[in-house]
Amino acid sequence: MENTENKKKVLVIDDDKHLSMLLVDKLNASGFEARGEKSGVDGLKTALETHPDIILLDVVMPNMDGWEMLGKLREDEWGKHAKVIMLSVLENADNTAQAIEKGALGYLIKTNWSLDQVVDQIKEALKVG
Amino acid sequence: MSKEHPVLNHLAVSFIVLIASIGILFAFLAITQDVFLYPERYFSGGITLAQLEQLVILISGILASISVSAVLYLLATRRTSTELTVANTTRWLAISREQFRRLYDNAPVPYVTLNAEGEIGQPNLAALRFFETTPEELIGKNLFSFRADEEGKFADQLFVNYKLKIPINREELQIVTGRGKKKWVLISIFETKSLTGKEHAGLASIFDITEQKHLDKAKTEFVSLASHQLRTPLATIRWYTDMLLSEDVGELSAKQKEYVEGLFSVDKEMIDLVDALLNVSRIEMGTLPVDKKPTNVEDLIESILVELGPQIGEKKLRIEKVYNDALKNIESDPKLLRIVIQNLISNAVKYTPEEGTVTIALEKSLHEKKIIVSDTGFGIPKDAQERVFTKLFRADNVRKLSTSQGTGLGLYLVKSIVETLGGTITFVSEENTGSTFTITL
Repeated sequence: MENTENKKKVLVIDDDKHLSMLLVDKLNASGFEARGEKSGVDGLKTALETHPDIILLDVVMPNMDGWEMLGKLREDEWGKHAKVIMLSVLENADNTAQAIEKGALGYLIKTNWSLDQVVDQIKEALKVG
Repeated sequence: MSKEHPVLNHLAVSFIVLIASIGILFAFLAITQDVFLYPERYFSGGITLAQLEQLVILISGILASISVSAVLYLLATRRTSTELTVANTTRWLAISREQFRRLYDNAPVPYVTLNAEGEIGQPNLAALRFFETTPEELIGKNLFSFRADEEGKFADQLFVNYKLKIPINREELQIVTGRGKKKWVLISIFETKSLTGKEHAGLASIFDITEQKHLDKAKTEFVSLASHQLRTPLATIRWYTDMLLSEDVGELSAKQKEYVEGLFSVDKEMIDLVDALLNVSRIEMGTLPVDKKPTNVEDLIESILVELGPQIGEKKLRIEKVYNDALKNIESDPKLLRIVIQNLISNAVKYTPEEGTVTIALEKSLHEKKIIVSDTGFGIPKDAQERVFTKLFRADNVRKLSTSQGTGLGLYLVKSIVETLGGTITFVSEENTGSTFTITL
Protein backbone atom coordinates (compact mmCIF):
# COMPACT_ATOMS: atom_id res chain seq x y z
CA MET A 1 0.00 0.00 0.00
CA GLU A 2 2.49 2.59 -1.14
CA ASN A 3 -0.24 4.95 -2.17
CA THR A 4 -2.06 6.05 0.96
CA GLU A 5 -4.88 7.52 -1.14
CA ASN A 6 -5.54 4.09 -2.52
CA LYS A 7 -5.91 2.13 0.71
CA LYS A 8 -8.44 -0.66 0.53
CA LYS A 9 -11.33 -0.27 2.94
CA VAL A 10 -12.07 -3.15 5.30
CA LEU A 11 -15.13 -3.27 7.54
CA VAL A 12 -14.83 -5.54 10.59
CA ILE A 13 -18.14 -6.56 12.17
CA ASP A 14 -17.68 -8.42 15.43
CA ASP A 15 -19.45 -7.96 18.77
CA ASP A 16 -16.31 -8.99 20.68
CA LYS A 17 -14.51 -5.72 21.41
CA HIS A 18 -11.10 -7.39 21.78
CA LEU A 19 -11.20 -9.30 18.54
CA SER A 20 -12.70 -6.37 16.70
CA MET A 21 -10.04 -3.97 17.97
CA LEU A 22 -7.19 -6.41 17.25
CA LEU A 23 -8.37 -7.01 13.70
CA VAL A 24 -8.77 -3.28 13.03
CA ASP A 25 -5.33 -2.49 14.50
CA LYS A 26 -3.66 -5.32 12.60
CA LEU A 27 -5.32 -4.35 9.32
CA ASN A 28 -4.42 -0.70 9.75
CA ALA A 29 -0.84 -1.73 10.51
CA SER A 30 -0.86 -3.87 7.38
CA GLY A 31 -1.78 -1.01 5.05
CA PHE A 32 -5.56 -1.17 4.99
CA GLU A 33 -8.10 1.38 6.05
CA ALA A 34 -10.06 -0.61 8.58
CA ARG A 35 -12.98 0.25 10.79
CA GLY A 36 -14.98 -1.84 13.21
CA GLU A 37 -18.65 -2.17 14.05
CA LYS A 38 -19.98 -4.07 17.05
CA SER A 39 -23.30 -5.34 15.74
CA GLY A 40 -24.99 -6.65 12.65
CA VAL A 41 -27.38 -3.68 12.59
CA ASP A 42 -24.60 -1.04 12.73
CA GLY A 43 -22.42 -3.13 10.44
CA LEU A 44 -25.10 -3.31 7.78
CA LYS A 45 -25.71 0.44 7.99
CA THR A 46 -22.01 1.29 7.68
CA ALA A 47 -21.50 -1.23 4.89
CA LEU A 48 -24.31 0.24 2.80
CA GLU A 49 -23.08 3.81 3.45
CA THR A 50 -19.35 3.36 2.94
CA HIS A 51 -19.21 0.48 0.46
CA PRO A 52 -16.02 -1.13 1.86
CA ASP A 53 -13.83 -3.29 -0.41
CA ILE A 54 -14.28 -6.26 1.87
CA ILE A 55 -16.26 -7.13 4.98
CA LEU A 56 -15.07 -9.40 7.80
CA LEU A 57 -18.25 -10.68 9.36
CA ASP A 58 -18.60 -12.52 12.67
CA VAL A 59 -21.28 -15.22 12.79
CA VAL A 60 -22.57 -15.23 16.37
CA MET A 61 -23.80 -11.78 17.39
CA PRO A 62 -26.83 -10.67 19.41
CA ASN A 63 -29.92 -9.23 17.68
CA MET A 64 -28.83 -9.60 14.09
CA ASP A 65 -26.31 -12.40 13.57
CA GLY A 66 -23.88 -12.74 10.70
CA TRP A 67 -26.14 -14.91 8.58
CA GLU A 68 -29.05 -12.50 8.85
CA MET A 69 -26.83 -9.53 8.10
CA LEU A 70 -25.37 -11.29 5.08
CA GLY A 71 -28.89 -12.03 3.85
CA LYS A 72 -29.92 -8.36 4.23
CA LEU A 73 -26.70 -7.21 2.55
CA ARG A 74 -27.43 -9.44 -0.45
CA GLU A 75 -30.79 -7.70 -0.91
CA ASP A 76 -28.97 -4.45 -1.70
CA GLU A 77 -27.90 -3.60 -5.23
CA TRP A 78 -24.30 -2.94 -4.17
CA GLY A 79 -24.34 -5.50 -1.36
CA LYS A 80 -25.31 -8.25 -3.79
CA HIS A 81 -21.70 -8.45 -4.98
CA ALA A 82 -19.87 -7.21 -1.89
CA LYS A 83 -16.89 -9.32 -0.81
CA VAL A 84 -17.47 -10.96 2.54
CA ILE A 85 -15.36 -13.31 4.64
CA MET A 86 -17.15 -14.98 7.56
CA LEU A 87 -15.34 -15.28 10.88
CA SER A 88 -16.27 -17.55 13.74
CA VAL A 89 -14.93 -19.61 16.60
CA LEU A 90 -17.37 -22.36 15.67
CA GLU A 91 -15.92 -25.19 13.67
CA ASN A 92 -18.73 -26.69 11.74
CA ALA A 93 -18.94 -28.19 8.27
CA ASP A 94 -22.53 -26.96 7.87
CA ASN A 95 -21.50 -23.38 8.59
CA THR A 96 -18.70 -23.56 6.05
CA ALA A 97 -21.10 -24.88 3.44
CA GLN A 98 -23.67 -22.23 4.32
CA ALA A 99 -21.04 -19.47 3.99
CA ILE A 100 -20.05 -20.64 0.52
CA GLU A 101 -23.69 -21.01 -0.48
CA LYS A 102 -24.44 -17.44 0.56
CA GLY A 103 -21.58 -16.18 -1.54
CA ALA A 104 -19.00 -15.54 1.19
CA LEU A 105 -15.40 -15.94 0.08
CA GLY A 106 -14.49 -18.03 3.11
CA TYR A 107 -15.28 -19.13 6.62
CA LEU A 108 -12.34 -18.64 8.98
CA ILE A 109 -12.09 -20.26 12.40
CA LYS A 110 -10.62 -17.67 14.75
CA THR A 111 -8.77 -20.13 16.98
CA ASN A 112 -7.14 -21.80 13.98
CA TRP A 113 -5.89 -18.68 12.22
CA SER A 114 -3.22 -16.23 13.27
CA LEU A 115 -3.79 -12.54 12.58
CA ASP A 116 -1.13 -12.68 9.86
CA GLN A 117 -2.97 -15.52 8.17
CA VAL A 118 -6.24 -13.56 8.31
CA VAL A 119 -4.51 -10.58 6.71
CA ASP A 120 -3.09 -12.88 4.03
CA GLN A 121 -6.59 -14.15 3.31
CA ILE A 122 -7.86 -10.60 2.88
CA LYS A 123 -4.97 -9.72 0.59
CA GLU A 124 -5.68 -12.84 -1.43
CA ALA A 125 -9.37 -11.95 -1.66
CA LEU A 126 -8.56 -8.42 -2.81
CA LYS A 127 -5.62 -9.56 -4.93
CA VAL A 128 -3.29 -6.96 -3.43
CA GLY A 129 0.00 -7.12 -1.58
CA MET B 1 -71.82 -79.49 30.16
CA SER B 2 -75.47 -79.10 29.52
CA LYS B 3 -74.80 -75.48 28.60
CA GLU B 4 -72.35 -76.53 26.00
CA HIS B 5 -74.34 -79.38 24.46
CA PRO B 6 -78.08 -78.75 24.65
CA VAL B 7 -78.85 -80.92 21.62
CA LEU B 8 -76.98 -83.94 22.94
CA ASN B 9 -78.63 -83.43 26.29
CA HIS B 10 -82.12 -83.47 24.81
CA LEU B 11 -81.33 -86.62 22.90
CA ALA B 12 -80.10 -88.29 26.10
CA VAL B 13 -83.21 -87.36 28.06
CA SER B 14 -85.47 -88.62 25.25
CA PHE B 15 -83.54 -91.89 25.25
CA ILE B 16 -83.97 -92.37 29.01
CA VAL B 17 -87.67 -91.64 28.84
CA LEU B 18 -88.10 -93.98 25.89
CA ILE B 19 -86.14 -96.88 27.40
CA ALA B 20 -87.72 -96.45 30.82
CA SER B 21 -91.20 -96.37 29.25
CA ILE B 22 -90.47 -99.53 27.27
CA GLY B 23 -89.18 -101.24 30.47
CA ILE B 24 -92.25 -100.26 32.48
CA LEU B 25 -94.55 -101.25 29.62
CA PHE B 26 -92.92 -104.71 29.40
CA ALA B 27 -93.20 -105.16 33.19
CA PHE B 28 -96.86 -104.05 33.11
CA LEU B 29 -97.54 -106.43 30.21
CA ALA B 30 -95.84 -109.30 32.05
CA ILE B 31 -97.92 -108.74 35.22
CA THR B 32 -101.19 -108.24 33.29
CA GLN B 33 -100.57 -111.39 31.24
CA ASP B 34 -99.83 -113.29 34.44
CA VAL B 35 -103.01 -112.01 36.17
CA PHE B 36 -105.15 -113.00 33.18
CA LEU B 37 -103.58 -116.41 32.82
CA TYR B 38 -103.33 -117.25 36.53
CA PRO B 39 -105.99 -115.22 38.45
CA GLU B 40 -105.94 -117.65 41.38
CA ARG B 41 -102.33 -116.58 42.13
CA TYR B 42 -103.52 -113.07 42.92
CA PHE B 43 -106.89 -113.48 44.45
CA SER B 44 -106.46 -116.54 46.73
CA GLY B 45 -104.53 -114.65 49.39
CA GLY B 46 -100.86 -114.89 50.40
CA ILE B 47 -97.91 -114.42 48.19
CA THR B 48 -96.87 -117.46 46.28
CA LEU B 49 -93.38 -118.26 45.12
CA ALA B 50 -94.54 -117.53 41.56
CA GLN B 51 -95.72 -114.09 42.60
CA LEU B 52 -92.37 -113.42 44.22
CA GLU B 53 -90.70 -114.56 40.99
CA GLN B 54 -92.88 -112.14 39.03
CA LEU B 55 -91.94 -109.29 41.37
CA VAL B 56 -88.23 -110.02 41.06
CA ILE B 57 -88.57 -110.10 37.25
CA LEU B 58 -90.43 -106.80 37.41
CA ILE B 59 -87.83 -105.06 39.59
CA SER B 60 -84.97 -106.55 37.51
CA GLY B 61 -86.68 -105.30 34.36
CA ILE B 62 -86.94 -101.79 35.79
CA LEU B 63 -83.31 -101.83 37.03
CA ALA B 64 -82.09 -103.16 33.67
CA SER B 65 -83.95 -100.39 31.82
CA ILE B 66 -82.45 -97.77 34.13
CA SER B 67 -78.93 -99.20 33.63
CA VAL B 68 -79.30 -99.32 29.89
CA SER B 69 -80.67 -95.77 29.97
CA ALA B 70 -77.73 -94.61 32.08
CA VAL B 71 -75.22 -96.24 29.75
CA LEU B 72 -76.97 -94.73 26.76
CA TYR B 73 -77.06 -91.35 28.48
CA LEU B 74 -73.34 -91.50 29.18
CA LEU B 75 -72.63 -92.61 25.62
CA ALA B 76 -74.79 -89.84 24.29
CA THR B 77 -73.27 -87.10 26.41
CA ARG B 78 -69.64 -88.32 26.27
CA ARG B 79 -67.73 -86.01 23.96
CA THR B 80 -65.15 -87.29 21.53
CA SER B 81 -61.50 -86.15 21.90
CA THR B 82 -61.92 -83.91 18.84
CA GLU B 83 -64.87 -82.23 20.51
CA LEU B 84 -62.76 -81.76 23.65
CA THR B 85 -59.86 -80.26 21.71
CA VAL B 86 -62.23 -77.92 19.92
CA ALA B 87 -63.77 -76.90 23.23
CA ASN B 88 -60.40 -76.29 24.84
CA THR B 89 -59.03 -74.41 21.87
CA THR B 90 -62.12 -72.26 21.76
CA ARG B 91 -61.71 -71.47 25.43
CA TRP B 92 -58.02 -70.64 25.04
CA LEU B 93 -58.76 -68.56 21.99
CA ALA B 94 -61.28 -66.60 23.96
CA ILE B 95 -58.80 -66.13 26.81
CA SER B 96 -55.88 -65.11 24.60
CA ARG B 97 -58.13 -62.83 22.60
CA GLU B 98 -59.10 -61.16 25.81
CA GLN B 99 -55.46 -60.98 26.88
CA PHE B 100 -54.45 -59.52 23.53
CA ARG B 101 -57.25 -57.02 23.74
CA ARG B 102 -56.08 -55.90 27.17
CA LEU B 103 -52.46 -55.82 26.07
CA TYR B 104 -53.37 -53.76 23.03
CA ASP B 105 -55.64 -51.40 24.94
CA ASN B 106 -53.25 -50.82 27.83
CA ALA B 107 -49.89 -51.01 26.04
CA PRO B 108 -47.73 -47.99 26.87
CA VAL B 109 -46.98 -47.48 23.18
CA PRO B 110 -49.72 -45.86 21.10
CA TYR B 111 -51.15 -48.26 18.51
CA VAL B 112 -53.78 -47.70 15.86
CA THR B 113 -55.16 -50.07 13.25
CA LEU B 114 -55.46 -48.75 9.72
CA ASN B 115 -57.67 -49.65 6.79
CA ALA B 116 -56.54 -49.70 3.17
CA GLU B 117 -56.98 -45.93 2.98
CA GLY B 118 -54.78 -45.32 6.01
CA GLU B 119 -57.79 -44.38 8.12
CA ILE B 120 -57.65 -45.11 11.82
CA GLY B 121 -59.81 -48.03 13.04
CA GLN B 122 -59.03 -48.99 16.60
CA PRO B 123 -56.80 -46.71 18.61
CA ASN B 124 -55.57 -48.07 21.94
CA LEU B 125 -55.67 -46.00 25.14
CA ALA B 126 -52.09 -44.82 24.74
CA ALA B 127 -52.98 -43.61 21.23
CA LEU B 128 -55.91 -41.60 22.61
CA ARG B 129 -53.63 -40.05 25.23
CA PHE B 130 -50.98 -39.41 22.61
CA PHE B 131 -53.32 -37.74 20.13
CA GLU B 132 -55.04 -35.90 23.01
CA THR B 133 -58.44 -36.63 21.57
CA THR B 134 -61.54 -38.84 21.83
CA PRO B 135 -62.08 -42.08 19.90
CA GLU B 136 -64.88 -40.38 17.93
CA GLU B 137 -62.50 -37.67 16.72
CA LEU B 138 -59.76 -40.13 15.87
CA ILE B 139 -61.55 -43.04 14.22
CA GLY B 140 -61.97 -42.65 10.49
CA LYS B 141 -59.29 -39.98 10.14
CA ASN B 142 -56.24 -40.59 7.98
CA LEU B 143 -53.23 -41.22 10.21
CA PHE B 144 -50.96 -39.17 7.96
CA SER B 145 -53.26 -36.16 8.17
CA PHE B 146 -51.91 -35.56 11.69
CA ARG B 147 -48.49 -34.60 10.28
CA ALA B 148 -46.99 -31.20 11.00
CA ASP B 149 -47.17 -28.71 8.11
CA GLU B 150 -43.45 -28.84 7.40
CA GLU B 151 -43.60 -32.64 7.08
CA GLY B 152 -46.12 -32.61 4.23
CA LYS B 153 -43.87 -34.07 1.57
CA PHE B 154 -42.39 -36.74 3.78
CA ALA B 155 -45.77 -37.77 5.23
CA ASP B 156 -47.20 -38.02 1.69
CA GLN B 157 -44.30 -40.28 0.76
CA LEU B 158 -44.99 -42.48 3.80
CA PHE B 159 -48.66 -42.67 2.82
CA VAL B 160 -47.72 -43.73 -0.69
CA ASN B 161 -45.38 -46.34 0.77
CA TYR B 162 -48.19 -47.62 2.99
CA LYS B 163 -50.55 -47.97 0.06
CA LEU B 164 -47.84 -49.77 -1.92
CA LYS B 165 -47.31 -52.07 1.09
CA ILE B 166 -43.71 -50.93 1.46
CA PRO B 167 -42.81 -51.51 5.13
CA ILE B 168 -42.51 -48.36 7.24
CA ASN B 169 -39.95 -48.94 9.94
CA ARG B 170 -39.12 -46.37 12.63
CA GLU B 171 -39.48 -43.33 10.41
CA GLU B 172 -39.07 -40.02 12.19
CA LEU B 173 -42.08 -37.78 11.76
CA GLN B 174 -43.37 -34.65 13.41
CA ILE B 175 -47.09 -34.71 14.10
CA VAL B 176 -49.71 -32.38 15.56
CA THR B 177 -52.12 -33.69 18.20
CA GLY B 178 -55.82 -32.96 18.50
CA ARG B 179 -54.95 -30.06 20.80
CA GLY B 180 -52.44 -28.65 18.36
CA LYS B 181 -49.33 -29.81 20.22
CA LYS B 182 -46.33 -30.78 18.10
CA LYS B 183 -44.71 -34.11 18.86
CA TRP B 184 -41.86 -36.09 17.37
CA VAL B 185 -42.51 -39.78 16.75
CA LEU B 186 -40.90 -42.89 15.35
CA ILE B 187 -43.62 -44.48 13.27
CA SER B 188 -43.71 -48.12 12.17
CA ILE B 189 -46.51 -49.77 10.22
CA PHE B 190 -46.87 -53.55 9.94
CA GLU B 191 -49.13 -55.05 7.36
CA THR B 192 -52.05 -57.02 8.78
CA LYS B 193 -55.16 -58.68 7.37
CA SER B 194 -58.50 -56.97 7.46
CA LEU B 195 -61.53 -58.81 8.90
CA THR B 196 -62.61 -59.94 5.46
CA GLY B 197 -59.04 -60.95 4.72
CA LYS B 198 -59.19 -59.30 1.34
CA GLU B 199 -58.38 -55.67 1.97
CA HIS B 200 -54.98 -54.28 2.86
CA ALA B 201 -54.77 -53.19 6.48
CA GLY B 202 -52.07 -52.06 8.88
CA LEU B 203 -51.10 -51.79 12.50
CA ALA B 204 -49.18 -48.62 13.28
CA SER B 205 -47.03 -48.15 16.35
CA ILE B 206 -46.32 -44.55 17.22
CA PHE B 207 -43.32 -44.14 19.50
CA ASP B 208 -43.16 -40.70 21.13
CA ILE B 209 -39.58 -39.36 21.01
CA THR B 210 -40.41 -35.71 21.71
CA GLU B 211 -38.59 -35.79 25.04
CA GLN B 212 -35.46 -37.32 23.51
CA LYS B 213 -35.55 -34.75 20.74
CA HIS B 214 -35.68 -31.91 23.25
CA LEU B 215 -32.85 -33.40 25.30
CA ASP B 216 -30.70 -33.94 22.22
CA LYS B 217 -31.35 -30.39 21.13
CA ALA B 218 -30.52 -29.03 24.57
CA LYS B 219 -27.29 -31.03 24.67
CA THR B 220 -26.25 -29.95 21.22
CA GLU B 221 -27.05 -26.35 22.04
CA PHE B 222 -25.06 -26.59 25.25
CA VAL B 223 -22.01 -27.96 23.51
CA SER B 224 -22.27 -25.35 20.82
CA LEU B 225 -22.69 -22.59 23.42
CA ALA B 226 -19.83 -23.89 25.57
CA SER B 227 -17.76 -24.19 22.44
CA HIS B 228 -18.40 -20.58 21.53
CA GLN B 229 -18.00 -19.16 25.03
CA LEU B 230 -14.78 -21.05 25.75
CA ARG B 231 -13.15 -20.52 22.40
CA THR B 232 -13.82 -16.82 22.08
CA PRO B 233 -11.49 -15.76 24.94
CA LEU B 234 -8.89 -18.26 23.76
CA ALA B 235 -8.99 -16.78 20.28
CA THR B 236 -8.69 -13.33 21.82
CA ILE B 237 -5.56 -14.31 23.78
CA ARG B 238 -4.11 -15.88 20.69
CA TRP B 239 -4.56 -12.69 18.66
CA TYR B 240 -3.28 -10.45 21.44
CA THR B 241 -0.09 -12.52 21.62
CA ASP B 242 0.06 -12.53 17.80
CA MET B 243 -0.13 -8.78 17.85
CA LEU B 244 2.60 -8.41 20.46
CA LEU B 245 4.87 -10.96 18.78
CA SER B 246 4.46 -9.27 15.39
CA GLU B 247 5.89 -6.14 17.12
CA ASP B 248 3.53 -3.93 15.15
CA VAL B 249 3.04 -1.93 18.31
CA GLY B 250 6.66 -1.79 19.45
CA GLU B 251 9.67 -3.99 19.88
CA LEU B 252 9.78 -6.54 22.71
CA SER B 253 12.83 -7.26 24.81
CA ALA B 254 14.15 -10.84 24.62
CA LYS B 255 12.59 -11.67 27.99
CA GLN B 256 9.25 -10.05 27.09
CA LYS B 257 9.22 -12.05 23.89
CA GLU B 258 9.89 -15.28 25.81
CA TYR B 259 7.00 -14.52 28.18
CA VAL B 260 4.60 -13.75 25.37
CA GLU B 261 5.66 -16.91 23.55
CA GLY B 262 4.94 -18.82 26.76
CA LEU B 263 1.50 -17.26 26.86
CA PHE B 264 0.98 -18.21 23.23
CA SER B 265 1.88 -21.87 23.74
CA VAL B 266 -0.25 -22.24 26.88
CA ASP B 267 -3.17 -20.68 24.99
CA LYS B 268 -2.61 -23.16 22.16
CA GLU B 269 -2.76 -26.02 24.68
CA MET B 270 -6.02 -24.65 26.08
CA ILE B 271 -7.47 -24.46 22.56
CA ASP B 272 -6.47 -28.09 21.97
CA LEU B 273 -7.96 -29.13 25.31
CA VAL B 274 -11.26 -27.38 24.63
CA ASP B 275 -11.37 -28.96 21.17
CA ALA B 276 -10.69 -32.40 22.67
CA LEU B 277 -13.36 -31.91 25.35
CA LEU B 278 -15.93 -30.78 22.82
CA ASN B 279 -15.09 -33.66 20.52
CA VAL B 280 -15.45 -36.06 23.43
CA SER B 281 -18.89 -34.68 24.28
CA ARG B 282 -19.92 -34.80 20.64
CA ILE B 283 -18.75 -38.43 20.43
CA GLU B 284 -20.59 -39.34 23.62
CA MET B 285 -23.76 -37.63 22.45
CA GLY B 286 -23.42 -39.24 19.06
CA THR B 287 -23.52 -35.86 17.35
CA LEU B 288 -20.06 -35.98 15.79
CA PRO B 289 -20.90 -35.83 12.11
CA VAL B 290 -18.98 -38.19 9.84
CA ASP B 291 -18.34 -36.69 6.44
CA LYS B 292 -16.64 -39.31 4.27
CA LYS B 293 -14.90 -38.21 1.11
CA PRO B 294 -11.74 -39.04 -0.86
CA THR B 295 -8.89 -38.51 1.57
CA ASN B 296 -5.15 -38.39 1.08
CA VAL B 297 -3.66 -39.75 4.30
CA GLU B 298 -0.13 -38.73 3.25
CA ASP B 299 -1.21 -35.11 2.99
CA LEU B 300 -2.81 -35.28 6.43
CA ILE B 301 0.40 -36.68 7.94
CA GLU B 302 2.57 -34.08 6.23
CA SER B 303 0.44 -31.22 7.54
CA ILE B 304 0.60 -32.70 11.06
CA LEU B 305 4.38 -33.02 10.83
CA VAL B 306 4.64 -29.36 9.83
CA GLU B 307 2.53 -28.43 12.83
CA LEU B 308 4.68 -30.53 15.16
CA GLY B 309 7.89 -29.32 13.48
CA PRO B 310 9.10 -27.22 16.44
CA GLN B 311 8.81 -30.08 18.97
CA ILE B 312 10.37 -32.60 16.56
CA GLY B 313 13.26 -30.23 15.88
CA GLU B 314 13.76 -29.41 19.53
CA LYS B 315 14.09 -33.10 20.47
CA LYS B 316 16.15 -33.92 17.36
CA LEU B 317 13.76 -36.77 16.57
CA ARG B 318 14.11 -38.81 13.40
CA ILE B 319 10.89 -39.23 11.45
CA GLU B 320 10.71 -42.29 9.22
CA LYS B 321 7.98 -42.42 6.63
CA VAL B 322 6.99 -45.69 4.99
CA TYR B 323 4.04 -44.53 2.92
CA ASN B 324 4.19 -47.21 0.15
CA ASP B 325 1.82 -44.97 -1.87
CA ALA B 326 -0.83 -46.99 -0.05
CA LEU B 327 -3.35 -44.48 1.24
CA LYS B 328 -3.25 -41.59 -1.18
CA ASN B 329 -6.94 -41.89 -1.93
CA ILE B 330 -9.17 -43.58 0.59
CA GLU B 331 -12.79 -42.96 1.51
CA SER B 332 -12.80 -41.46 5.00
CA ASP B 333 -13.52 -38.31 6.97
CA PRO B 334 -10.30 -36.30 6.63
CA LYS B 335 -11.09 -34.04 9.58
CA LEU B 336 -11.73 -36.92 11.99
CA LEU B 337 -8.86 -38.97 10.63
CA ARG B 338 -6.60 -35.99 11.13
CA ILE B 339 -7.57 -35.77 14.81
CA VAL B 340 -6.73 -39.48 15.16
CA ILE B 341 -3.34 -39.36 13.42
CA GLN B 342 -2.47 -36.02 15.03
CA ASN B 343 -3.00 -37.52 18.48
CA LEU B 344 -0.92 -40.61 17.72
CA ILE B 345 2.02 -38.70 16.20
CA SER B 346 1.86 -36.02 18.87
CA ASN B 347 1.94 -38.73 21.58
CA ALA B 348 4.90 -40.41 19.87
CA VAL B 349 6.74 -37.09 19.75
CA LYS B 350 5.80 -36.20 23.31
CA TYR B 351 6.80 -39.51 24.85
CA THR B 352 10.01 -40.24 22.94
CA PRO B 353 13.28 -38.98 24.43
CA GLU B 354 15.76 -36.90 22.45
CA GLU B 355 17.24 -38.34 19.26
CA GLY B 356 14.67 -41.12 19.17
CA THR B 357 12.80 -42.29 16.10
CA VAL B 358 9.13 -42.02 15.17
CA THR B 359 8.00 -44.24 12.30
CA ILE B 360 4.80 -43.68 10.35
CA ALA B 361 3.84 -46.54 8.07
CA LEU B 362 0.86 -46.93 5.74
CA GLU B 363 -0.26 -50.30 4.41
CA LYS B 364 -3.02 -51.47 2.20
CA SER B 365 -4.24 -54.99 1.54
CA LEU B 366 -7.30 -56.26 -0.23
CA HIS B 367 -9.62 -55.75 2.73
CA GLU B 368 -7.78 -53.49 5.11
CA LYS B 369 -5.99 -50.21 5.36
CA LYS B 370 -3.49 -49.70 8.14
CA ILE B 371 -1.92 -46.63 9.68
CA ILE B 372 0.93 -47.57 12.00
CA VAL B 373 2.69 -45.08 14.28
CA SER B 374 5.61 -46.44 16.30
CA ASP B 375 8.22 -44.80 18.46
CA THR B 376 11.34 -45.60 20.47
CA GLY B 377 9.89 -43.89 23.51
CA PHE B 378 9.15 -44.52 27.16
CA GLY B 379 6.50 -47.12 26.41
CA ILE B 380 3.45 -47.93 28.51
CA PRO B 381 3.96 -49.97 31.71
CA LYS B 382 2.43 -53.48 31.49
CA ASP B 383 0.05 -52.95 34.41
CA ALA B 384 -1.35 -49.78 32.82
CA GLN B 385 -1.85 -51.16 29.33
CA GLU B 386 -5.45 -52.22 29.71
CA ARG B 387 -6.49 -48.72 30.76
CA VAL B 388 -4.81 -46.94 27.87
CA PHE B 389 -8.04 -46.08 26.03
CA THR B 390 -10.02 -45.02 29.10
CA LYS B 391 -10.92 -41.41 29.68
CA LEU B 392 -8.40 -39.32 31.64
CA PHE B 393 -5.79 -42.10 31.53
CA ARG B 394 -2.19 -41.06 32.05
CA ALA B 395 0.57 -43.58 32.63
CA ASP B 396 2.65 -43.11 35.79
CA ASN B 397 5.96 -43.16 33.95
CA VAL B 398 5.06 -40.11 31.87
CA ARG B 399 3.01 -38.28 34.49
CA LYS B 400 6.29 -37.29 36.12
CA LEU B 401 7.70 -35.76 32.93
CA SER B 402 7.52 -32.06 33.50
CA THR B 403 7.77 -31.38 29.79
CA SER B 404 4.62 -33.14 28.71
CA GLN B 405 1.15 -31.81 29.26
CA GLY B 406 -1.31 -34.48 28.30
CA THR B 407 -5.04 -34.08 28.70
CA GLY B 408 -5.71 -37.78 29.25
CA LEU B 409 -8.37 -37.48 26.56
CA GLY B 410 -6.28 -38.14 23.48
CA LEU B 411 -6.36 -41.93 23.19
CA TYR B 412 -9.94 -42.14 24.44
CA LEU B 413 -10.91 -39.75 21.67
CA VAL B 414 -8.76 -41.63 19.13
CA LYS B 415 -10.45 -44.94 19.92
CA SER B 416 -13.94 -43.41 19.85
CA ILE B 417 -13.31 -41.72 16.50
CA VAL B 418 -11.69 -44.79 14.94
CA GLU B 419 -14.72 -46.82 15.98
CA THR B 420 -17.07 -44.15 14.65
CA LEU B 421 -15.22 -44.47 11.34
CA GLY B 422 -15.78 -48.24 11.47
CA GLY B 423 -12.19 -49.19 12.27
CA THR B 424 -10.21 -50.65 15.14
CA ILE B 425 -7.09 -49.63 17.04
CA THR B 426 -4.54 -51.89 18.74
CA PHE B 427 -1.11 -51.36 20.25
CA VAL B 428 1.96 -53.15 21.53
CA SER B 429 4.25 -51.46 23.98
CA GLU B 430 7.21 -52.20 26.16
CA GLU B 431 8.53 -49.88 28.79
CA ASN B 432 11.74 -48.04 27.79
CA THR B 433 11.62 -49.62 24.31
CA GLY B 434 8.66 -47.95 22.66
CA SER B 435 5.08 -48.28 21.51
CA THR B 436 3.39 -49.14 18.23
CA PHE B 437 -0.21 -48.10 17.58
CA THR B 438 -2.00 -49.64 14.62
CA ILE B 439 -5.24 -48.30 13.16
CA THR B 440 -7.08 -50.66 10.87
CA LEU B 441 -9.76 -49.13 8.68
